[in-house]
Amino acid sequence: MRVKLLYHTDLEALRRVFAKEGVPFDPEVVMDHVVYMFEIEDCSRVTTHQLVRHRAVSYDQESQRFSAATKEGVITPPSILSNESAYKAYDEALKVIYSSYERMVAAGVPKEDARYILPSAIMTKLVMTLNARSLMHMVWQRTALQAQWEIRELAMTLHNLARDATPELWTRIIER
Amino acid sequence: MKVSLVWSSPSPERTIAVAMRRCFSTKAIGDIESELDQKGPEYWKYLLSKALQDKSLDVLEHFTMTLLVEGAAESDVGNLNRDFPYLRTTRLKGADWLISMNARTLVELWRDLRGKDFANRVAAELEGRNVCPIFSELAFGGRVRAS
Repeated sequence: MRVKLLYHTDLEALRRVFAKEGVPFDPEVVMDHVVYMFEIEDCSRVTTHQLVRHRAVSYDQESQRFSAATKEGVITPPSILSNESAYKAYDEALKVIYSSYERMVAAGVPKEDARYILPSAIMTKLVMTLNARSLMHMVWQRTALQAQWEIRELAMTLHNLARDATPELWTRIIER
Repeated sequence: MKVSLVWSSPSPERTIAVAMRRCFSTKAIGDIESELDQKGPEYWKYLLSKALQDKSLDVLEHFTMTLLVEGAAESDVGNLNRDFPYLRTTRLKGADWLISMNARTLVELWRDLRGKDFANRVAAELEGRNVCPIFSELAFGGRVRAS
Protein backbone atom coordinates (compact mmCIF):
# COMPACT_ATOMS: atom_id res chain seq x y z
CA MET A 1 0.00 0.00 0.00
CA ARG A 2 1.26 3.49 -0.87
CA VAL A 3 -0.25 6.65 0.56
CA LYS A 4 0.80 10.22 -0.25
CA LEU A 5 -0.51 13.60 0.87
CA LEU A 6 -1.10 15.63 -2.31
CA TYR A 7 -2.00 18.91 -0.60
CA HIS A 8 -3.33 20.35 2.62
CA THR A 9 -4.71 23.71 3.73
CA ASP A 10 -2.09 26.23 4.78
CA LEU A 11 -2.61 26.77 8.52
CA GLU A 12 -0.66 30.03 8.34
CA ALA A 13 -3.25 31.51 5.97
CA LEU A 14 -5.98 30.67 8.51
CA ARG A 15 -3.88 32.02 11.35
CA ARG A 16 -3.51 35.38 9.55
CA VAL A 17 -7.30 35.67 9.26
CA PHE A 18 -7.78 34.99 12.96
CA ALA A 19 -5.11 37.62 13.76
CA LYS A 20 -6.77 40.15 11.42
CA GLU A 21 -10.09 39.56 13.13
CA GLY A 22 -8.52 39.70 16.59
CA VAL A 23 -9.82 36.23 17.44
CA PRO A 24 -7.65 33.59 19.19
CA PHE A 25 -6.61 30.78 16.82
CA ASP A 26 -8.33 27.60 17.94
CA PRO A 27 -7.48 24.19 16.36
CA GLU A 28 -10.91 22.90 17.35
CA VAL A 29 -12.57 25.69 15.33
CA VAL A 30 -10.45 25.30 12.19
CA MET A 31 -10.94 21.52 11.92
CA ASP A 32 -13.79 22.08 9.44
CA HIS A 33 -11.62 24.36 7.33
CA VAL A 34 -8.39 22.38 7.08
CA VAL A 35 -8.57 20.02 4.10
CA TYR A 36 -6.27 17.18 3.03
CA MET A 37 -6.11 15.44 -0.35
CA PHE A 38 -4.50 11.98 -0.37
CA GLU A 39 -3.64 9.44 -3.03
CA ILE A 40 -3.97 5.82 -1.94
CA GLU A 41 -2.57 3.06 -4.13
CA ASP A 42 -2.53 -0.70 -3.99
CA CYS A 43 -4.87 -1.43 -1.14
CA SER A 44 -7.68 -3.96 -1.53
CA ARG A 45 -11.26 -3.21 -2.47
CA VAL A 46 -12.14 -4.86 0.89
CA THR A 47 -10.53 -1.84 2.52
CA THR A 48 -12.02 0.78 0.20
CA HIS A 49 -15.51 -0.68 0.76
CA GLN A 50 -14.97 0.12 4.45
CA LEU A 51 -13.35 3.48 3.68
CA VAL A 52 -16.22 4.83 1.58
CA ARG A 53 -18.64 4.28 4.45
CA HIS A 54 -17.14 7.48 5.89
CA ARG A 55 -19.29 10.29 4.57
CA ALA A 56 -18.59 13.99 3.87
CA VAL A 57 -15.46 12.74 2.10
CA SER A 58 -14.74 13.04 -1.63
CA TYR A 59 -13.47 9.90 -3.38
CA ASP A 60 -12.45 9.18 -6.96
CA GLN A 61 -11.41 5.58 -7.52
CA GLU A 62 -9.99 3.58 -10.42
CA SER A 63 -12.96 2.14 -12.28
CA GLN A 64 -13.17 -1.55 -13.12
CA ARG A 65 -15.45 -0.61 -16.01
CA PHE A 66 -12.42 0.60 -17.92
CA SER A 67 -9.32 -1.12 -16.51
CA ALA A 68 -8.56 -4.79 -17.07
CA ALA A 69 -7.87 -6.87 -13.95
CA THR A 70 -4.82 -9.10 -13.51
CA LYS A 71 -4.15 -11.89 -11.04
CA GLU A 72 -0.95 -10.17 -9.89
CA GLY A 73 -2.90 -7.22 -8.54
CA VAL A 74 -4.38 -8.79 -5.41
CA ILE A 75 -3.81 -8.40 -1.68
CA THR A 76 -3.23 -11.60 0.31
CA PRO A 77 -4.00 -11.26 4.05
CA PRO A 78 -1.17 -12.43 6.38
CA SER A 79 -3.44 -15.07 7.94
CA ILE A 80 -3.76 -16.72 4.51
CA LEU A 81 -0.16 -16.12 3.45
CA SER A 82 1.18 -17.84 6.57
CA ASN A 83 -1.09 -20.88 6.27
CA GLU A 84 -0.01 -23.28 3.56
CA SER A 85 -3.31 -25.07 2.99
CA ALA A 86 -5.29 -21.81 3.20
CA TYR A 87 -2.97 -20.15 0.70
CA LYS A 88 -3.35 -23.10 -1.67
CA ALA A 89 -7.16 -22.74 -1.54
CA TYR A 90 -6.88 -18.95 -2.03
CA ASP A 91 -4.53 -19.25 -4.96
CA GLU A 92 -6.63 -21.92 -6.65
CA ALA A 93 -9.77 -19.79 -6.35
CA LEU A 94 -7.96 -16.74 -7.78
CA LYS A 95 -6.69 -18.78 -10.73
CA VAL A 96 -10.25 -19.91 -11.53
CA ILE A 97 -11.63 -16.36 -11.13
CA TYR A 98 -9.04 -14.70 -13.35
CA SER A 99 -9.17 -17.44 -15.97
CA SER A 100 -12.97 -17.01 -16.13
CA TYR A 101 -12.62 -13.20 -16.26
CA GLU A 102 -10.15 -13.37 -19.15
CA ARG A 103 -12.31 -15.89 -21.04
CA MET A 104 -15.37 -13.67 -20.67
CA VAL A 105 -13.51 -10.55 -21.86
CA ALA A 106 -12.08 -12.55 -24.79
CA ALA A 107 -15.61 -13.71 -25.63
CA GLY A 108 -16.71 -10.09 -25.95
CA VAL A 109 -18.27 -9.48 -22.53
CA PRO A 110 -17.66 -5.81 -21.59
CA LYS A 111 -15.22 -5.33 -18.70
CA GLU A 112 -18.02 -3.62 -16.76
CA ASP A 113 -19.91 -6.94 -16.78
CA ALA A 114 -16.97 -9.35 -16.55
CA ARG A 115 -15.90 -7.57 -13.34
CA TYR A 116 -18.86 -9.09 -11.48
CA ILE A 117 -16.69 -12.14 -10.89
CA LEU A 118 -13.63 -10.28 -9.57
CA PRO A 119 -12.58 -10.74 -5.92
CA SER A 120 -12.65 -8.05 -3.23
CA ALA A 121 -8.94 -8.80 -2.77
CA ILE A 122 -8.19 -6.88 -5.95
CA MET A 123 -5.84 -3.88 -5.58
CA THR A 124 -7.25 -0.46 -6.29
CA LYS A 125 -6.16 3.18 -6.47
CA LEU A 126 -8.02 6.31 -5.42
CA VAL A 127 -7.78 9.94 -4.42
CA MET A 128 -9.57 11.18 -1.31
CA THR A 129 -10.22 14.71 -0.05
CA LEU A 130 -11.60 15.42 3.41
CA ASN A 131 -11.40 17.94 6.21
CA ALA A 132 -9.58 17.45 9.52
CA ARG A 133 -12.80 16.74 11.42
CA SER A 134 -13.77 13.90 9.08
CA LEU A 135 -10.20 12.58 9.00
CA MET A 136 -9.96 12.62 12.79
CA HIS A 137 -13.21 10.65 13.07
CA MET A 138 -11.96 8.17 10.46
CA VAL A 139 -8.62 7.76 12.24
CA TRP A 140 -10.32 7.37 15.63
CA GLN A 141 -12.63 4.61 14.36
CA ARG A 142 -10.28 2.77 12.03
CA THR A 143 -7.22 2.61 14.27
CA ALA A 144 -9.28 0.87 16.97
CA LEU A 145 -8.06 -2.62 17.85
CA GLN A 146 -11.34 -4.06 16.53
CA ALA A 147 -10.70 -2.61 13.05
CA GLN A 148 -9.31 -4.88 10.34
CA TRP A 149 -5.52 -4.95 9.81
CA GLU A 150 -5.45 -3.37 6.37
CA ILE A 151 -7.66 -0.38 7.11
CA ARG A 152 -5.84 0.05 10.44
CA GLU A 153 -2.59 0.29 8.52
CA LEU A 154 -4.19 2.82 6.16
CA ALA A 155 -5.70 4.89 9.01
CA MET A 156 -2.39 4.99 10.87
CA THR A 157 -0.59 6.14 7.72
CA LEU A 158 -3.20 8.85 7.07
CA HIS A 159 -2.83 10.00 10.67
CA ASN A 160 0.96 10.15 10.45
CA LEU A 161 0.89 12.14 7.20
CA ALA A 162 -1.70 14.63 8.53
CA ARG A 163 0.12 14.99 11.85
CA ASP A 164 3.46 15.64 10.12
CA ALA A 165 1.88 18.22 7.77
CA THR A 166 -0.15 20.05 10.43
CA PRO A 167 1.39 19.00 13.76
CA GLU A 168 -0.12 21.77 15.81
CA LEU A 169 -3.64 20.80 14.88
CA TRP A 170 -3.25 17.12 15.68
CA THR A 171 -1.03 17.40 18.73
CA ARG A 172 -3.17 19.98 20.47
CA ILE A 173 -6.39 18.11 19.80
CA ILE A 174 -5.00 14.74 20.86
CA GLU A 175 -3.65 16.29 24.06
CA ARG A 176 -7.19 17.26 25.13
CA MET B 1 -21.02 41.57 2.17
CA LYS B 2 -17.33 41.30 1.27
CA VAL B 3 -15.78 37.99 0.20
CA SER B 4 -11.99 37.47 0.33
CA LEU B 5 -10.11 34.33 -0.55
CA VAL B 6 -8.05 33.01 2.37
CA TRP B 7 -6.66 29.89 0.73
CA SER B 8 -7.43 27.55 -2.16
CA SER B 9 -5.95 24.24 -3.23
CA PRO B 10 -2.95 24.52 -5.56
CA SER B 11 -3.35 24.28 -9.34
CA PRO B 12 -7.14 23.66 -9.24
CA GLU B 13 -7.68 22.58 -12.82
CA ARG B 14 -4.75 20.15 -12.68
CA THR B 15 -6.08 18.71 -9.39
CA ILE B 16 -9.51 18.17 -10.96
CA ALA B 17 -7.83 16.52 -13.96
CA VAL B 18 -5.87 14.18 -11.63
CA ALA B 19 -9.14 13.09 -9.97
CA MET B 20 -10.79 12.55 -13.32
CA ARG B 21 -7.92 10.54 -14.79
CA ARG B 22 -7.79 8.48 -11.56
CA CYS B 23 -11.17 7.00 -12.45
CA PHE B 24 -10.29 5.98 -15.98
CA SER B 25 -6.58 5.15 -15.84
CA THR B 26 -4.69 2.17 -14.44
CA LYS B 27 -1.55 4.28 -13.98
CA ALA B 28 -0.04 5.32 -10.66
CA ILE B 29 -0.78 8.92 -9.63
CA GLY B 30 2.82 9.98 -10.34
CA ASP B 31 2.45 8.76 -13.92
CA ILE B 32 -0.95 10.46 -14.27
CA GLU B 33 0.62 13.71 -13.06
CA SER B 34 3.48 13.37 -15.57
CA GLU B 35 0.97 12.71 -18.35
CA LEU B 36 -1.07 15.79 -17.35
CA ASP B 37 2.02 18.01 -17.16
CA GLN B 38 3.16 16.79 -20.56
CA LYS B 39 -0.23 17.42 -22.19
CA GLY B 40 -0.65 20.80 -20.48
CA PRO B 41 -3.58 23.12 -19.61
CA GLU B 42 -5.46 22.58 -22.90
CA TYR B 43 -5.91 18.91 -21.90
CA TRP B 44 -6.97 19.85 -18.36
CA LYS B 45 -9.54 22.13 -19.97
CA TYR B 46 -10.80 19.29 -22.16
CA LEU B 47 -11.21 17.01 -19.11
CA LEU B 48 -12.92 19.71 -17.05
CA SER B 49 -15.34 20.59 -19.84
CA LYS B 50 -16.17 16.90 -20.21
CA ALA B 51 -16.84 16.59 -16.45
CA LEU B 52 -19.16 19.61 -16.54
CA GLN B 53 -20.86 18.36 -19.71
CA ASP B 54 -21.38 14.84 -18.30
CA LYS B 55 -22.49 16.30 -14.93
CA SER B 56 -19.68 14.30 -13.26
CA LEU B 57 -19.29 17.02 -10.67
CA ASP B 58 -17.68 14.72 -8.06
CA VAL B 59 -14.23 15.43 -9.51
CA LEU B 60 -14.68 19.14 -8.66
CA GLU B 61 -14.79 18.22 -4.96
CA HIS B 62 -10.99 18.03 -4.84
CA PHE B 63 -10.67 21.76 -5.56
CA THR B 64 -11.29 23.32 -2.17
CA MET B 65 -11.23 26.89 -0.84
CA THR B 66 -11.61 28.89 2.37
CA LEU B 67 -13.09 32.39 2.36
CA LEU B 68 -13.37 35.28 4.79
CA VAL B 69 -16.90 36.70 4.48
CA GLU B 70 -17.34 40.07 6.17
CA GLY B 71 -20.66 41.73 6.85
CA ALA B 72 -22.96 38.73 6.40
CA ALA B 73 -26.15 38.51 8.45
CA GLU B 74 -26.57 35.38 10.56
CA SER B 75 -29.89 34.67 8.82
CA ASP B 76 -28.22 34.72 5.37
CA VAL B 77 -25.43 32.38 6.46
CA GLY B 78 -28.01 30.16 8.21
CA ASN B 79 -30.05 29.92 5.01
CA LEU B 80 -26.97 28.99 2.97
CA ASN B 81 -26.07 26.34 5.55
CA ARG B 82 -29.56 24.89 5.44
CA ASP B 83 -29.81 24.82 1.64
CA PHE B 84 -26.21 23.73 0.97
CA PRO B 85 -25.17 21.30 3.73
CA TYR B 86 -21.62 20.79 2.43
CA LEU B 87 -20.71 24.41 3.22
CA ARG B 88 -18.61 24.72 6.38
CA THR B 89 -19.24 27.98 8.24
CA THR B 90 -17.69 29.35 11.42
CA ARG B 91 -18.49 32.74 12.92
CA LEU B 92 -15.26 34.58 13.72
CA LYS B 93 -16.89 37.62 15.31
CA GLY B 94 -20.01 39.72 14.71
CA ALA B 95 -20.94 39.49 11.05
CA ASP B 96 -17.58 38.03 9.93
CA TRP B 97 -17.40 34.36 8.94
CA LEU B 98 -14.93 31.75 7.80
CA ILE B 99 -16.56 29.68 5.04
CA SER B 100 -15.02 26.63 3.36
CA MET B 101 -16.36 24.69 0.41
CA ASN B 102 -15.34 22.77 -2.64
CA ALA B 103 -15.86 23.72 -6.28
CA ARG B 104 -18.80 21.35 -6.68
CA THR B 105 -20.70 23.21 -3.97
CA LEU B 106 -19.73 26.50 -5.64
CA VAL B 107 -21.18 25.31 -8.96
CA GLU B 108 -24.34 24.11 -7.18
CA LEU B 109 -24.66 27.50 -5.44
CA TRP B 110 -24.19 29.23 -8.80
CA ARG B 111 -26.90 27.15 -10.46
CA ASP B 112 -29.44 27.71 -7.66
CA LEU B 113 -31.29 31.00 -7.11
CA ARG B 114 -30.85 30.60 -3.34
CA GLY B 115 -27.07 30.59 -3.68
CA LYS B 116 -26.58 32.68 -6.83
CA ASP B 117 -25.69 35.98 -5.16
CA PHE B 118 -23.13 34.43 -2.82
CA ALA B 119 -21.67 32.28 -5.65
CA ASN B 120 -21.35 35.39 -7.81
CA ARG B 121 -19.25 37.10 -5.15
CA VAL B 122 -17.04 34.03 -4.68
CA ALA B 123 -16.63 33.59 -8.46
CA ALA B 124 -15.70 37.28 -8.83
CA GLU B 125 -13.09 36.95 -6.07
CA LEU B 126 -11.60 33.83 -7.72
CA GLU B 127 -11.57 35.60 -11.06
CA GLY B 128 -10.07 38.77 -9.59
CA ARG B 129 -7.20 36.77 -8.14
CA ASN B 130 -6.82 34.64 -11.28
CA VAL B 131 -7.02 31.48 -9.15
CA CYS B 132 -8.63 29.19 -11.72
CA PRO B 133 -9.11 30.90 -15.11
CA ILE B 134 -10.06 27.70 -16.95
CA PHE B 135 -12.56 26.64 -14.27
CA SER B 136 -14.05 30.16 -14.10
CA GLU B 137 -14.53 30.28 -17.86
CA LEU B 138 -16.11 26.84 -18.11
CA ALA B 139 -18.22 26.85 -14.94
CA PHE B 140 -19.46 30.44 -15.05
CA GLY B 141 -19.11 31.17 -18.76
CA GLY B 142 -17.60 34.61 -18.22
CA ARG B 143 -20.86 35.76 -16.64
CA VAL B 144 -19.34 36.68 -13.30
CA ARG B 145 -20.56 40.02 -11.98
CA ALA B 146 -17.81 42.11 -10.43
CA SER B 147 -18.54 42.61 -6.73
